[in-house]
Amino acid sequence: MSLLEVQGISKRFGGLVAVGDFSLNLDGGQIIALIGPNGAGKTTAFNVISGFYKADSGKVIFDGRDITNLRPDQICKLGLARTFQVVRPFQGISVLDNVMVGAYARTNDAHTARSKAEEAIEFMGMQKMANQMASGLPIAGRKRLEIARALATEPKILLLDETMAGLRSGEAEEVIGMVRKISENGIAIFLVEHVMKVVMLLAERIVVIHHGEKIAEGLPADVVQNQQVIDAYLGEAHVAS
Amino acid sequence: MSAEISTKNMNNPVRRIMRIAFSDWDHIQMTICFALFGLIALAPLVIHSPYYLGILILATLYTFTGVSWNIVAGFTGQLLIAHVSFLAVGAFTTIVLLDKFSISPWVGILISGVAAALLGIAIALITLRYGLKMDYFALFTIALMVALRTLFLKWELVGGAVGMWVRLTDNSFMKMTFQTKEPYLYIALLLAVIGLLIQYRVYHSKMGRYFVAIREDEHAAAALGVNTSLYKTIAVVIGAAMAGVAGGFYVMYVTYVEPTQVFNLGLNVEIMMSAPIIGGLGSLAGPVLGALLNKPLAELARGFLSAQPSGTTLIVYGSFLILSILFMPRGITGLLHRLYLRLQRREKAD
Repeated sequence: MSLLEVQGISKRFGGLVAVGDFSLNLDGGQIIALIGPNGAGKTTAFNVISGFYKADSGKVIFDGRDITNLRPDQICKLGLARTFQVVRPFQGISVLDNVMVGAYARTNDAHTARSKAEEAIEFMGMQKMANQMASGLPIAGRKRLEIARALATEPKILLLDETMAGLRSGEAEEVIGMVRKISENGIAIFLVEHVMKVVMLLAERIVVIHHGEKIAEGLPADVVQNQQVIDAYLGEAHVAS
Repeated sequence: MSAEISTKNMNNPVRRIMRIAFSDWDHIQMTICFALFGLIALAPLVIHSPYYLGILILATLYTFTGVSWNIVAGFTGQLLIAHVSFLAVGAFTTIVLLDKFSISPWVGILISGVAAALLGIAIALITLRYGLKMDYFALFTIALMVALRTLFLKWELVGGAVGMWVRLTDNSFMKMTFQTKEPYLYIALLLAVIGLLIQYRVYHSKMGRYFVAIREDEHAAAALGVNTSLYKTIAVVIGAAMAGVAGGFYVMYVTYVEPTQVFNLGLNVEIMMSAPIIGGLGSLAGPVLGALLNKPLAELARGFLSAQPSGTTLIVYGSFLILSILFMPRGITGLLHRLYLRLQRREKAD
């Protein structure tokens, strides 16, 4: 049985089907990527899986448990953490305090939370910024903070929503290294990404979504050859390059 | 010379206490507050005028009510505007228990805290059920206050529109009735100290971190495992219970209560909102600094203007609020914090 089983979820906004009958399996330790054009329903799918939207139909099974109608905080406590495409740091408090909020998901003790948070901060290479206000961080720092906070909740699966977007290539490479390291620690990664280079570097499997529906799934090398995917998303230029 | 030697002795207990007291910004805020409370405790040695003692009693009480609102509005960012409803319910609870059931106010103010907490739970459940946030949440609390005022005006058990009085007796500790002002000052001070300590404990616990996370970004907090509904409710209940206790003391000190006096937005601005806002909303020392500066200034201004009492106070409070929001959005504590950071930088540079 897979760690995460998404079984035919649908989400409608009025007449618009944002996600329709979307299914997916993710095993422990795997990295898979969800790609598709703007408005394809990637973030909506994330929001349904992580409990921010209620599914209109379908089921999400995580670790053998139906989490379809649970609240985000309950889902997080079970071990499914996420980041946001538009980063949402707690601006008015320090980086350490930000990450401690995540760490408190597993403990009530301030000292334990602090040391867990410090671990996550070190893992993301943010020691120098630990006592800085989150509002003062540059975008790359905010993206890392977003991951550090989620890591501090000790997830089994991490949902990364466009973590590389807006980063310079050097910064993105660093984050790619970190995502690899997270995966090597046995945490499954499910990422939404626009930067194809990142997807090709990281993902073991790619799922392509278009108009809310899955149009392809498979190994990265196969998916980029898929005619439907090229038409919908990649375009001829990508294949040519 | 000898002073210099003693400060070099690391085992000196004074030195150790000083190190803890000034170790970080939160400790410094607490140290400032306790220093001010110490001065208040000594004030009766030099201030004998009942008028000035009266101002000091209310200022001290306002640090406590300010803390109660700071936890809800400052920590969790919930715009619970009509927080004074809790104080009103607390005031009526204590006086009804004393007047009709001869229950000592010392017990009464604790029951007042419970009664206000129950109202807090009701408010939290209703607003969460219907997803009322920010301005809608604020409007709901105001509407509820108006509804409660009407209810109390018609309610004979609590005195209706006439209200209720503390029957004046001689000094009675059990009945919390005193001929002089000093005992009231020390009761208010006791509440202020307890309130400040509760606020500190809350702020530095998991609960406090969660409160602030909710204020900063509710969705991000939920994604990190924070049960936002639960923690918003807890914040309201803590703030409500403290305001209820304050109401019990308030009625014993003022010696009367009637619905239009306490279910009143003017009183709300004076007793709940101005201290934390002027002092620095969401900070530890904000309610204390705000109340101790604002209340005496407002009273002095009222003395100078000496016009219609109720209207003038509001103008004075309103002006203070507007000026502080415009020129020091982080309040007095914010200014002090900047000063502290500057000193720290200079120390590092040396």
